[in-house]
Amino acid sequence: MGKKIYVNLVFVILLLFCPLPSQAAMYRDSLGRKVVLCSYPKRIISLAPSITEMIYFLGLGDRLVGVTRFSCFPEEAQKKPKVGTYTYINVEKVITLDPDIVIATADGNRREDVEKLEEAGIQVYVVNPRKVNQVLDTIERVGEVCGVVHTAKRLVSSLRERVTRVVQAVRDKERPLVLLVINMKPLMSVNQSTTHHDLITLAGGQNLAGDQFITYPRLNMEEVLRKRPEVIIISSMKKGESYERASKEWLQWPTLPAVQKGNVYLIDSDLIDRAAPRMVSGLEEMAKLIHPEIEWDEK
Amino acid sequence: MRSSNDQPITPLRVLYICLVLSLLLIITALISLSLGPAKIPLGDIFSWCTRSRPVDQTTLMILYKIRLPRILLAGLVGFTLSLGGVVFQALLRNPLAEPFVLGISSGAAVGAIIGIILGLGFTVGVPLLSFLSALLTIFLVMGISSRQGGLESSTLLLTGVIINAFFTATIMFFITTTSDSRLHSMLFWLYGDLSQSRYIQLSICLPLVLIVSGIIYFFSRHLNLMVGGEEAALQMGVEVEALKWISFLGISLITGVVVSFSGIIGFVGLIVPHLMRMLFGPDHRLLIPASALGGAIFLIAADTLARTILSPNELPVGVVTAFLGAPFFIYLLKQRGSQWTQS
Repeated sequence: MGKKIYVNLVFVILLLFCPLPSQAAMYRDSLGRKVVLCSYPKRIISLAPSITEMIYFLGLGDRLVGVTRFSCFPEEAQKKPKVGTYTYINVEKVITLDPDIVIATADGNRREDVEKLEEAGIQVYVVNPRKVNQVLDTIERVGEVCGVVHTAKRLVSSLRERVTRVVQAVRDKERPLVLLVINMKPLMSVNQSTTHHDLITLAGGQNLAGDQFITYPRLNMEEVLRKRPEVIIISSMKKGESYERASKEWLQWPTLPAVQKGNVYLIDSDLIDRAAPRMVSGLEEMAKLIHPEIEWDEK
Repeated sequence: MRSSNDQPITPLRVLYICLVLSLLLIITALISLSLGPAKIPLGDIFSWCTRSRPVDQTTLMILYKIRLPRILLAGLVGFTLSLGGVVFQALLRNPLAEPFVLGISSGAAVGAIIGIILGLGFTVGVPLLSFLSALLTIFLVMGISSRQGGLESSTLLLTGVIINAFFTATIMFFITTTSDSRLHSMLFWLYGDLSQSRYIQLSICLPLVLIVSGIIYFFSRHLNLMVGGEEAALQMGVEVEALKWISFLGISLITGVVVSFSGIIGFVGLIVPHLMRMLFGPDHRLLIPASALGGAIFLIAADTLARTILSPNELPVGVVTAFLGAPFFIYLLKQRGSQWTQS
């Protein structure tokens, strides 16, 4: 008799610790697609470097069973099995890894790949953040789907605070004209539909190419000379030697206020290109470059 | 037909047509100089040229450092490609021939793309690699197709096509394995990009182009005979094999050089020679200078459109040459016939 109670007790305790929801949970992703999960996902596959960063940020790195190439942050992400690049997903590899959920991005991953995964009966949650705020919302949403709502809320609220701090610091300042260079040859920048534009605006600058109708417009150098940007920020993959080269390139245009004042800077492209938690650091860094006159407390 | 090619070719007529075309070239260049995102009236340009009135710093920079080198390079590239088209069409006796038919373009492209992947600069590294790889391609194609010192036209064409296919696949391979911003640089290079023009590039290209076009012009009478068939040309005393080697190598050399700076700009070498043939007839003594000048005019005009039509955005110039060239060419073809069979 006593033994039976003991077994039952163990069973109840086990149940208590088991994070199983009472019934299947249904989520809607950013494209309005239904994603049904029977339990909190234990095997997660990320289809973009930005999503990989989010998962690690939420402390779910252990559950990640597959990432894309170029998922280089944090470093341990590089050791995870690769499922292709984010434009060319190896669907077979994803299926072999038997994920509970695959998280994809609407603008990077190919629609066909997502559809193929769906046909294979895999739940695919698609995110599509376009602005800094939406990136933060997305992190929360991913946390919810993966069953760590509270952690996600707590972590994201501290990110939100950092964003607010920047926005308040630049609120009453002049807004200098900023040229963000995402590619040097040919010269390319970003228009207002990009996250980069949002970053420039939040950091207290005006985007020189904001009104262009192409998302990543190729700019004519004439246009730049005519608009006279006060700050030039070059988004770059590498640091160091290429900075020397990049800034020297700009020295040949001495009529630009940015060149005259020495406001030609380099920024780590991973910080601003990826819709990930590190984007807040990108925002802080950008605000420092655009508004060096403000006393930013280092922390 | 009713075109003017019934008139005999006299040195005076050649000179006259070349003068008219040169004038047209200068006018095109001046108009192009005044067009762009920044409005610069022709009056300002004249006062800049004549130093009569001071021009503000930004305007000066736009004219001297952005537009002028770009226009000059566009002219030189158009000149070279069109010249190459005429010569290749004559030597291969094929109306579809153009300077890229032997695989120079894709050869140069592979070099340039490897340069871009390695992160080399666009002033020296990428052009140099592109030129070397174009040169290698030419020797490869000519080496494969030569038999006992002789170059057989159809073998040459076929080898060119195969090498082209192989390198195009190589390019696709590189493109699919690259996924960062270098991809943009590659794509723009593949469709022609004159926005990186510098005077130093001109000073490299210009002497080479002038020397080679001088040599080619010297042989223009021989090219006339070649169009009638190699046997006939041989009987008329043309050193057929020597002429082929010199012309193929010379043209490939200058095409390789200009392409390494400009990227691949299609259509110029194909349509401008045909256009000129329709206008002035098939005699190479007139056709060669007319095509070269016409190519310069055409490419300057096309590049002006490329940088103004979506202003302030830019289109790859190769897109414009094809957009403009193809319909215009078809119209002329319907109207006047190719003039090709008449020669």
